[in-house]
Amino acid sequence: MLAPRARFSRGAVRSLLRRYREPIFVALLLAGPFLVFAARWRPLPLQVANRAIVAMTAPVERALTLAVGGMVDTWTGYVWLHDVRQANVELRRQLLRERQQSQRAAELLAENARLKGLLDFADKERPVRMLPATVVAVGASPHSHSLRIARGSEDGVQRGAAVVSQEGVVGTVAQITAAYADVQLITSPLSAVPALSQRTRSRSTVRGTGDITRARLEYALRTDDLQDGDLLVTAGGAGFFPKGLHIGRVANVQRRATGMFLGADVLPAVDFSRLDEVMVVISDPGAPAGPDGGIAPSASSAAGAEARP
Amino acid sequence: MKLRIGLLMLVCVGVSVLQAVLPLLLRVRDARADLLLCVVLYLALHDEWVQGGALSLFAGYLSDLGSAMPVGLYSFLAVLTFVVIRLAASAFKTDRGPRVVVLAVAASLVHSLFASLLFRFFVQGGGVFRLHVAGALWSAVATGLGGLFVFAVLRRIDEGFRQHEPAAIGRGF
Repeated sequence: MLAPRARFSRGAVRSLLRRYREPIFVALLLAGPFLVFAARWRPLPLQVANRAIVAMTAPVERALTLAVGGMVDTWTGYVWLHDVRQANVELRRQLLRERQQSQRAAELLAENARLKGLLDFADKERPVRMLPATVVAVGASPHSHSLRIARGSEDGVQRGAAVVSQEGVVGTVAQITAAYADVQLITSPLSAVPALSQRTRSRSTVRGTGDITRARLEYALRTDDLQDGDLLVTAGGAGFFPKGLHIGRVANVQRRATGMFLGADVLPAVDFSRLDEVMVVISDPGAPAGPDGGIAPSASSAAGAEARP
Repeated sequence: MKLRIGLLMLVCVGVSVLQAVLPLLLRVRDARADLLLCVVLYLALHDEWVQGGALSLFAGYLSDLGSAMPVGLYSFLAVLTFVVIRLAASAFKTDRGPRVVVLAVAASLVHSLFASLLFRFFVQGGGVFRLHVAGALWSAVATGLGGLFVFAVLRRIDEGFRQHEPAAIGRGF
């Protein structure tokens, strides 16, 4: 008695599946990525596919960037030179000012080292080295906050490594292949950087909001004397950015009548739309820890060669 | 038909490369065109459910790749956009000129809004993700203009196929 009914029900299911084949398929297409997203799941086949696609597209992106960048450089460097004389005079003046500041900084550095020696102070910062990397692309989606750089695991770059530019903090390495890495910018809503106010030395966290022009200041105590225009630098610490790198300037400070923390925006020090080259900070366990193991936020890191701070 | 699918996948990859390189070369901050979204719109207006849905998923996956955002967000949004536009496809009498621009601008704005909402509700600590309205508007305008280019390329591909195998192309609209 049961066999024909079972056959009927199996047949009915099959016919239903055949009839609603398209809606079922589309529902699965919707459910799959949604579950992966909601559960923050990273399936292995996806990771393999990611690597394959990056290996295919990144060299093309690099070639395009280099070719067009080269043409623009040729135009601006050899053909379009009408402002060069004026710029040269301005740069010479700037160089003089920078030299004075550099001499002063060198004196302070020496004084600092002397005083540290007197106090028998051992710096806890890990020794690091800087690896220059060319930016070859940005994240494909307009809403993404990432860059692709032409350095990968073969060059010693690791996931989570800090990425900086001459102006300050850029982000951290989020995804990596043998020759390329994707950098998550500090403006990404997934990013949080421990910060220190250069003037007041108060601690806080700079969190991305998805807006490339500003981030949000969190956990800054309401009693702190933070003001608009204050410079924020990285607070350092294990697993984070080296201490003292520029993050940005505080803006729109709001002190509410209640609550522990104040609200403020942070204007990033780096213009992320104008990055051609960045430096990847690589921890260097082999190097001896110097008296000032951290890296200075200077603009002097020469591009094109590995620089040891 | 397999050749057309392969070709459309290649177009998706090419468009994603353009989308990733152009903002860097043009120093564009906000006005970034979502060309992959335009591909999804074209698929929704021209392809069948199964093939168009699968290709939309692929386009969304390419957006996800390297976005440094939780995996699946843009894949899901791409398929959702495909479904919504496919259901409303009969409302679009034509896919040329200003209508393409209007459709792409509207889709881009809704896409931005949904991305920020989904992120806010489903990602831990995502409460600070704000919709940057000015950026979304500029991006929508760029997407609208980019839509003209993407639709023209895809239409040309389909016309080429239609000349060779008239019956094998999707049912159109």
